[in-house]
Amino acid sequence: MRYGTHRVGTLLAALVFAVPVLANEKAEPDPARSPYWEPIRQLMFGDRPINADDRDVIRVYLNMRADDASTVPVAVKSQIDQTEKDFIKSIYLIVERNPSPTAGVFHFTPSSGRAQVETRLRFEDFSFVRAIAEMNDGKLYMSQRWVKAAGGCSAPNARNFVPEALLGKMKLRFDDDSITYGKPNLVQLMIRHPNESALAADFDAEKVPQFVRSVKVSFDGRPVMDAEVDFSISDNPNFRFFFNPQGKGELKIEVEDTHDRKFTHSVPISEGAPLPGG
Amino acid sequence: MKRIKVTAAMLGAVAVVAAQTAMAVDPAQIGSFEVTEVAPGNYVHYGSFEERSPQNLGDNANIGFIVGERCVLVVDAGGSLPVGRALKKAIRRVTQVPICHVVLTHVHPDHFFGAAAFLDGGAQFIAHRNYPRQLAARARSYLNYLRRDLGELAEGSDVVQPTLLIDGRLELDLGGRSVVVQGWPPAHTDDDLTVFDRATRTFWLADLLFVGHTPVIDATITGFLAVMDDLRKIDAAHYVAGHGRSQAPWPEVLDPQRRYFTVILEETRAAIRNRKTLQQATDEVGHSEAKNWAAFDTFHRRNVTTAYTELEWE
Repeated sequence: MRYGTHRVGTLLAALVFAVPVLANEKAEPDPARSPYWEPIRQLMFGDRPINADDRDVIRVYLNMRADDASTVPVAVKSQIDQTEKDFIKSIYLIVERNPSPTAGVFHFTPSSGRAQVETRLRFEDFSFVRAIAEMNDGKLYMSQRWVKAAGGCSAPNARNFVPEALLGKMKLRFDDDSITYGKPNLVQLMIRHPNESALAADFDAEKVPQFVRSVKVSFDGRPVMDAEVDFSISDNPNFRFFFNPQGKGELKIEVEDTHDRKFTHSVPISEGAPLPGG
Repeated sequence: MKRIKVTAAMLGAVAVVAAQTAMAVDPAQIGSFEVTEVAPGNYVHYGSFEERSPQNLGDNANIGFIVGERCVLVVDAGGSLPVGRALKKAIRRVTQVPICHVVLTHVHPDHFFGAAAFLDGGAQFIAHRNYPRQLAARARSYLNYLRRDLGELAEGSDVVQPTLLIDGRLELDLGGRSVVVQGWPPAHTDDDLTVFDRATRTFWLADLLFVGHTPVIDATITGFLAVMDDLRKIDAAHYVAGHGRSQAPWPEVLDPQRRYFTVILEETRAAIRNRKTLQQATDEVGHSEAKNWAAFDTFHRRNVTTAYTELEWE
């Protein structure tokens, strides 16, 4: 799966570079007529209709003008409850003009509580960011935002140098002072990792950039969120999401990078017990 | 200092028209480029606070030179080849001794893109040990955005590889005048150098000091504050900031920058403690400082982002 996804990224990169450079428009272009989006859509979703009905399923939030193209906060928020019958199965987060446009694919279950994810993105150029929700019945819904930020894939890594000893170290921060059972609890996962961009230096075929490929979050052995991610995610990858504990258990994180390194972290969860905060 | 002004970017056609207009006016406009002798033998050209444009040709940083009996030492070459050439002309108006050293104070394009103007004279290009790694990572996008901002006027501006890397201190004899080039731990960038002229005690701080212009943190806020403590101990009679100028005495001229960083540091730590997200922190932290600094809207929120992503791991 790891290299499969990577190949898709490379292929998309080739496609994206093949279209004329229209970069840095002053005004927001028409999202429906983006020459960048069309090949990505074809490759990822084929002829499946997107937004076939006007159900409000997903929204993506970003500032239109980003402050730091290597670290742009993004929030993808579900507008519906996750139920057994009707839930968001996957969220695709795409920065359509990035060299590897798929920043992440996040998989959820009915027990995720809420299909929502916040992270930080790199932007190589002004771009639409698109969040596509795939429902359990296969329907697709999309929301997009135009973001003015550029250069973030090419020059990010040196700033947050990660010493070898800290690589893969994780930190969990909870939004509330303690956990409440039976409702979605917001948690922030921080991973120490340079998440090197393949563009950080001039293309060097010998050097495989090291970045986080997969993040699996489970509670008491049941999946909360599984994500396949890419170097469009900023260094020291950061994810905020919900989990919905019904009782005592272990919140476990498993991370894997392009160099086959595996990192794990877990914390015991019980209602009312103090949690690591900010 | 980062001068990649994405907001100033235009449609390609507009950029070309603007570039042609500027050329039609006077491609050698920069020839009237002024230098000020701030101390005997120390000449500074003060860059503009305006965004990089075909009109100012990326003349945004303070750059200059120190003249010895045998050699000239250049401190940064400016933001484009025309700026570097104008600096070279200014040197030749003052002295005919060879230009032996060009100090590349750090890896930002408003300081280094003029360096190609000094390639023909056999000068040594001095940079911090960490400079080449940063340059490799950034050169391509810096060049892209220079072309985007200056159009055809970016022609000839390019990166120059350093020929001498330093880690700590380097003492140079310019002939009857000795200068110290010093590398610092990560602060503004991870490859900051300063230059100190012993004869006049003139301290060239490059972007370790901003005066009036929003200070920029590209590496680490805690590191920058720590380095500022050491800068303060330098016994200087004159100083040259990387951006801006002031009549304030040394070392008090460091105070506004220290206050600005301290505000960011304290408010960002509080935001993290109060479980504010990065987005909320950039919206809320440090805006009381807006009135004190030029280009605040361009750089402040990015500084908060840098501070937050550093401090959230404390």
